[in-house]
Amino acid sequence: MRLITHNMLSCNIKGVANGFPLKIEAESVIEKEVDFNPDFLRHMFAKIEWKALVEAARSLGYSELPEDSPAAAAEDESLLKKLHHALLELHLEEGALVCPETGRRFPVTRGIPNMLLHEDEV
Amino acid sequence: MKATLAPSSLISLPRHKVSSLRSPSLLIQSQRPSSALMTTMKTASRGSVAVTAAATSSVEALREGIAEFYNETSGLWEEIWGDHMHHGFYDPDSSVQLSDSGHREAQIRMIEESLRFAGVTEEKKIKRVVDVGCGIGGSSRYIASKFGAECVGITLSPVQAKRANDLAAAQSLSHKVSFQVADALEQPFEDGMFDLVWSMESGEHMPDKAKFVKELVRVAAPGGRIIIVTWCHRNLSQGEEALQPWEQNLLDRICKTFYLPAWCSTSDYVNLLQSLSLQDIKCADWSENVAPFWPAVIRTALTWKGLVSLLRSGMKSIKGALTMPLMIEGYKKGIIKFGIITCQKPL
Repeated sequence: MRLITHNMLSCNIKGVANGFPLKIEAESVIEKEVDFNPDFLRHMFAKIEWKALVEAARSLGYSELPEDSPAAAAEDESLLKKLHHALLELHLEEGALVCPETGRRFPVTRGIPNMLLHEDEV
Repeated sequence: MKATLAPSSLISLPRHKVSSLRSPSLLIQSQRPSSALMTTMKTASRGSVAVTAAATSSVEALREGIAEFYNETSGLWEEIWGDHMHHGFYDPDSSVQLSDSGHREAQIRMIEESLRFAGVTEEKKIKRVVDVGCGIGGSSRYIASKFGAECVGITLSPVQAKRANDLAAAQSLSHKVSFQVADALEQPFEDGMFDLVWSMESGEHMPDKAKFVKELVRVAAPGGRIIIVTWCHRNLSQGEEALQPWEQNLLDRICKTFYLPAWCSTSDYVNLLQSLSLQDIKCADWSENVAPFWPAVIRTALTWKGLVSLLRSGMKSIKGALTMPLMIEGYKKGIIKFGIITCQKPL
């Protein structure tokens, strides 16, 4: 699972008000190189929940992203490269996504999050 | 409460037990017209704890059954038909017997016709798409390529999710599309995330149509479009309370092998969307446009390659294959309809 996906996932257990962002428990992280596409990244920039991304990247061992969402990201090539790496090149292969409110763990196996809820959670 | 029914036991249950699996009080009764649909839901919520517990166990069993069915059969389907697990769209009364590639083109055409029907064009600036019941991701990859959009797909089958991600990587689309295991009735997304909510032939599997539609609407962005393409039963006529027993009988037999809960009609979907104040609701009956599909699937199953693959794939695939003539019968007799329902979420 890449962080571009993590940035979209939330916990939907009944009654949970703050299911986003999910915390990450990383057991196995791999890096896969992806072609750098600055236009795509500029396009994505407005939609990313920045703090969630920074925290998630840190959980996967990458701390290069600035804490606050930079204003002039479009022109800053070195920032775009860091964004590219965090968003697209880090893969959580094994681990879990954890609901910030309930602590419920959603396992990530072979890179795929399992977000299925149990009967008593719906 | 854990489900007591193991998925494999679903096949061998005698008919009456399958019926009770299909229609506990929380599920939509396919026989009732739309106003009764709402009454059913209200009654269910006041129902006894015992009934509710039994109902949710069977829903969990259905979910496991669906996951196992697709875990087992997806590979076989992909081998013979490719990565689109849906009907092709054909010109009505086309008597030309198409080649394999002709059918594949028809499956692409189904996606294009659906987008066109919903008024979703390049100009609409589709940025984020959710593919609900994504199979091995054929629609997601196609739509992501077409619009340059980000697409996330959900399926109950871990095998499908893995295959979908692998295919995305192979097509250099991994930065645009990703696939997760999740339940369409509890989508793991915040409200209003998606410009396009896509459900291509997955609605049939949803045991609670009202909840399914509510989730589609919840995750749609204001101004976003929802496209549902699904198998339905025919609309009930004025004053008709239910399908005829022989019609219901046919559908029951199909439900068993394809892991389908109770069917509903296109009108039921329209009524649900109306009750949720969606705009620009449109629907159509495309049954004539999909008529060549099941005969073609049967033909491919009967080829040497098809038969060998079926035998290797397992009982669920074989039983599924044996059920296909029932689909043709259902269409021919006007019981089964292939419907599209689209709408827009208000701004």
